[in-house]
Amino acid sequence: MTALLEVRNLRKRFGGIRALDDVSLEVRANEAVGLIGPNGAGKTTLFDCISGVQRADRGRVDLAGERIDDLGVYRRARLGIGRTFQRLELFSAMTAREHMLVAERERRGDGSLLKDLLWKGAPRRDEIARVDELLDELGLEELADAPIESLSLGQGRLVELGRALMRGPRLLLLDEPSSGLDSLESARLAALLRDICERRQIATLVVEHDLELVHSLAQRVYVMDFGSIIGAGTLEDVLGESSVRRAYLGDEV
Amino acid sequence: MSQALSYAIPGLPYGCVFALLGMGLVLTYQTSDVFNLAFGAQAYASAVVFFIVVRDGWPVWAGFLVAVVFGAPLLGALLQAVLYRHVRTQPPLVKLVASLGMLIAIPAVLEVAFGADQLINPPSLWLSPSAIYLHAAGATIDGTELSTVVVTAAVALLLSLMFHFTQIGLRMQAMAESPRMVSLAGVNAEGVGLASWMLSSFLAGLAGVMLAPAFGGLQSISFTDLLVAAVAAAAAGSLKSLPWTFFGGILLGVAEELLSGYLPSGEILSSGLRPAFPFVVLLGLLVFLPRLRKRWARSDDPLAGCDPPPAPLSSSTGGPLFRRASRGTIVLLAGAFVASTMTWISGSWVFTITEMLVFAIVFLSIVLLTGMSGQISLCQAAFVGVGAFTAGQLADHFGLSIIVGMFLAGAASAAVGVVVALPSLRLGGLALALATLAFGLLADNIGFQYSWSGNGQSGINVPRPQLASINFTSNRAYFLLVFVVLCVCIAVVRAVARGTTGRQLAALGGSELAAASIGINPARLKIIVFALSAGIAGVGGALYASLDGSVSSSDFNTLISLVLVVVIAIVGVSSIEGAIEAGVAYVLLNTVLTNDLPTQYSSLLELAFGAGVIVYVLHPEGVVEVSKRFVLDHLRRQPDGNGLAT
Repeated sequence: MTALLEVRNLRKRFGGIRALDDVSLEVRANEAVGLIGPNGAGKTTLFDCISGVQRADRGRVDLAGERIDDLGVYRRARLGIGRTFQRLELFSAMTAREHMLVAERERRGDGSLLKDLLWKGAPRRDEIARVDELLDELGLEELADAPIESLSLGQGRLVELGRALMRGPRLLLLDEPSSGLDSLESARLAALLRDICERRQIATLVVEHDLELVHSLAQRVYVMDFGSIIGAGTLEDVLGESSVRRAYLGDEV
Repeated sequence: MSQALSYAIPGLPYGCVFALLGMGLVLTYQTSDVFNLAFGAQAYASAVVFFIVVRDGWPVWAGFLVAVVFGAPLLGALLQAVLYRHVRTQPPLVKLVASLGMLIAIPAVLEVAFGADQLINPPSLWLSPSAIYLHAAGATIDGTELSTVVVTAAVALLLSLMFHFTQIGLRMQAMAESPRMVSLAGVNAEGVGLASWMLSSFLAGLAGVMLAPAFGGLQSISFTDLLVAAVAAAAAGSLKSLPWTFFGGILLGVAEELLSGYLPSGEILSSGLRPAFPFVVLLGLLVFLPRLRKRWARSDDPLAGCDPPPAPLSSSTGGPLFRRASRGTIVLLAGAFVASTMTWISGSWVFTITEMLVFAIVFLSIVLLTGMSGQISLCQAAFVGVGAFTAGQLADHFGLSIIVGMFLAGAASAAVGVVVALPSLRLGGLALALATLAFGLLADNIGFQYSWSGNGQSGINVPRPQLASINFTSNRAYFLLVFVVLCVCIAVVRAVARGTTGRQLAALGGSELAAASIGINPARLKIIVFALSAGIAGVGGALYASLDGSVSSSDFNTLISLVLVVVIAIVGVSSIEGAIEAGVAYVLLNTVLTNDLPTQYSSLLELAFGAGVIVYVLHPEGVVEVSKRFVLDHLRRQPDGNGLAT
């Protein structure tokens, strides 16, 4: 079986810095994979290259056997890559419900300017039902109509997650979903993510510093440092490797 | 070669002034994140004060002290304290409108204070403007030019010393990252910000006083044009580097003189290209320098998240019953309004009311573009002009009624909108605003000057239409036509707003990156919204042309674009009713203040702008929204004391 996401020999430089140096990894369908490593290791740059926010200098990215590394962000999203952002990227002045509604309409892809002008553009009943269902699932029903700026960081991350899910992705890229959450919230998030991704059959690649969350979510992990993959396997295995321990946890551990 | 030099050398003093203003722009952008388009007006203010004081018999050095050393920094400090201090964390539109408002208001205040007399032959600061001091490569250098170059060189040297060797210079650099971080480090960030405003205002004042003799007469518009070049200079320095800004300014001054030396004189292209040239350069820099786009796209204050969220729109807080009631009231009012206008209101007022509705259509185009998708256009008057001249030329040459012509006008404007959108696709926020400003200047100075387009200042005649037995030369009949078109435009904007496109636009305005991450194609959407907005503006232009019977290029100059944006922002850019109220307010103030009051009060409109802008930065949601919220809070009798602030 070919992998859902296949990254081969990605290279990306910023000036003299090697942000990505020959990075290869793969994510299979329905699989949850963790990506760990110290700050500045190139994890977010890798995400950006996979989702199209940045173009790699060299290498290729395939989604379900189809080459995607020369496509724009929105084209890759339409092929099934959803993502969240380390620094929240919410639609200011829109409510959580509106976030979901716009994504749901994108998933269906049946909106057009002409339909709007014929007064047929408003959210339909089945769309609203689907949105409400997901808001329920995420525990956001109380906050669905509050201004997005009044939400806490953790709630904002949930809205981002919901927006990405609503689009109906095959692969979800989660960039530090638990940063800004306390340990209880983070445990709840892990359970929620596991449940949703299993039920909807979504593969995930998650960048995370909270190893407990990675452990409960991901079947295996990649470790990055200085732009390269320095280890791969189950979390227990890679944490046993001395090179990983040096890079990630410091020498003295 | 020597001919090139003889063209180039007179450009140096201009280049020096561009450099001074450009450095001021960079300095304040770095420390307070405001791109102060009002520096041109501040330069003008210093030049006027210097003129008046010296005319009244003070010695030149005293005038210099009053106008430049004390006056200019004082004005800068005042602007910072009253206005710019509040906008640092606000969206780009608020920052832009704040400085545009001052650009318009400062000359008006001066006019009220010192009278509207023409100020001719401004005094020279140092060396005599009529004496020739040097001959170089066939060019003569007079006192104004020589003193400008010498003073600028000295100032540049002092500035670089300050930034390298003093603590305040270092702190100003730190402010560029995050003023909150700076204040957390124990530095008085407000004080540093104030100092940088005073310094850059001093530079602006100096530039204004030095350049004034070269203009012959003092007019605020020539100083506004100066600023255009300063913006390009600042762009050459990536809005960051003072040395590059300095050299960019000098180079631009020289290039401008070279260009006007080699272009054939007397043609529209050469006379129009000169004022627009700096912005052509700016447009090129914006489109081809990715680093610049990034710096302009957003400010990355790491502590930006500390700001309180804005309050929800009052329309979203009222219940369904309230909404139904208010909708009924609107329909009732509109009916009564049409009935009154068609019967008992006098003819000249019907004309004024029709003009209000025409401007409501124009403002509606800005509500769609800026209010709904967060894209800022400073060339909306140019779109209106394209529509007006398209319909006008068709009526003039082919006898086409503007009832048909306005559709073609809308189509032509929409096409121009697409042309403007295409190079701007990767721009956002302030960069987009400046790129559209560049286009507006091109349209104003070149595009509308040809006889086949706007026919320059003399303009073209546009007859009222005739439909079957209805003759629209009657103001009442024409009013009805405009009213119907306005209703159609409102219906279109509402349909877009509540549909897929409206939600996509809102998403795009919220975060372009996130919008793309769920599959929205930002480029396509921007083209659509620019086309729609320009199309509506073009329809408004066609109606405007025929209302007045004649239009010329001066009806659609760049300043009008700026005024339109400021007015709709103050009134409320996020709702359709804001457009209508802005149309009413704009025409009412214009008509009442220009026709019905003695001339010395005609600056009151611009003064009202200034006051409006100050209210606006405190309540960026606009006057309409603030008053609605106020009324609603009272209706609900919430005794929470600070209903508006929370």
